[in-house]
Amino acid sequence: MTTEERIIKVIASHLEMEESEITEATTFEDLGVDSLDAVEIMMELEDEFGVEVKAEEAGKSVKELADYLNAKLG
Amino acid sequence: MIKSSICEQIGIEYPIFQGGMARISDGALAAAVSEAGGLGIVSAASGDVNQVSEQLDIAKKLTSKPFGVNVMLRGENIDALAKLIADKKPAVVTTGAGNPEKYMDMWKAAGIKVIPVAASASFAKIFERAGADAVVAEGCESGGHVGELTTMALVPQVCDAVSIPVIAAGGIADGRGAAAAFMLGAEGIQVGTRFLVATECSINQNYKDKVLKASDTSTIVTGKRLGHPVRSLKSPFSREYAKIEYTSISNEDLEQFAVGSLAAAVNGDDKHGCFLAGQISGLINKEQTSAEIIKEIMEQAEELLKGGAKWVR
Repeated sequence: MTTEERIIKVIASHLEMEESEITEATTFEDLGVDSLDAVEIMMELEDEFGVEVKAEEAGKSVKELADYLNAKLG
Repeated sequence: MIKSSICEQIGIEYPIFQGGMARISDGALAAAVSEAGGLGIVSAASGDVNQVSEQLDIAKKLTSKPFGVNVMLRGENIDALAKLIADKKPAVVTTGAGNPEKYMDMWKAAGIKVIPVAASASFAKIFERAGADAVVAEGCESGGHVGELTTMALVPQVCDAVSIPVIAAGGIADGRGAAAAFMLGAEGIQVGTRFLVATECSINQNYKDKVLKASDTSTIVTGKRLGHPVRSLKSPFSREYAKIEYTSISNEDLEQFAVGSLAAAVNGDDKHGCFLAGQISGLINKEQTSAEIIKEIMEQAEELLKGGAKWVR
């Protein structure tokens, strides 16, 4: 699975949505995610990827999140 | 006497913080609260470095006991304010509207305890990881900026999420609320609204009278549309805001409508003031000194906690 796919899986599971409803371009804003939900999703992404995720640095779209995580994962 | 780890951590007599209220919590009020054994907190919400510096100096001159400063982590001046706080070295900084991680090392190196306000258990965990010394769990009963969760639901969940001390806030104005907060797992309480009517609080008498007259249903939340919901007393201003909030008015015009409303309230302007106050306003019916307020809350809480065994058969 690519980083993008893994991120989509985590977000879809948290929001109880179909993975097909989320694309690389989707942003938290598109999904109606507030700051409280966002922080919970970030923590789930930390569990998934085993690295620390800082909400303010991680970007807004799936693609930006993936770039951020890929850079962290090296 | 009620003692908790937060008392030793900060060096205060009673585990009670006075909430940092924008444009209201000045150096004189904070010093009076600290002198009375609580933790007085100067508000840095104005964002004006000189003004905040002056108020911190006033507090320092009036008390040799620990006091704190409350800062909102947004706005243009935030880096300069953070630096000022590191220079002035109050005992505590409480933070709102974001993660103080960026300033954590600087503040801790200055010997300042960092206590962010957390709106959820996840935020509390992130603050703990960033090095926070404690967190304030503030429920939406409070005046001013509010979240979604009530104090009753938020406090125990935050207590379960972190191992640092939790300060309960929102809806606490007497010993009953304080005792309940300790039962929910908090190690301290933060009180805002009741200190509005403290004799050392410098707001216009008209503002105080509104709090004293308020009932349990006197407050309203506005501003959710712009993402910053605020609880205030119902007033011509807040009723009008509520009326136009979900009309076709633009975000810019809505924002413009509220400009100056806090200053107007502090000056006692009935028509244009946004009188921030919590849901517990209805319980508050007399003006007292900060020392009397603190003593009354803590003594009542102590009596109730001692008597708690009466429920167990």
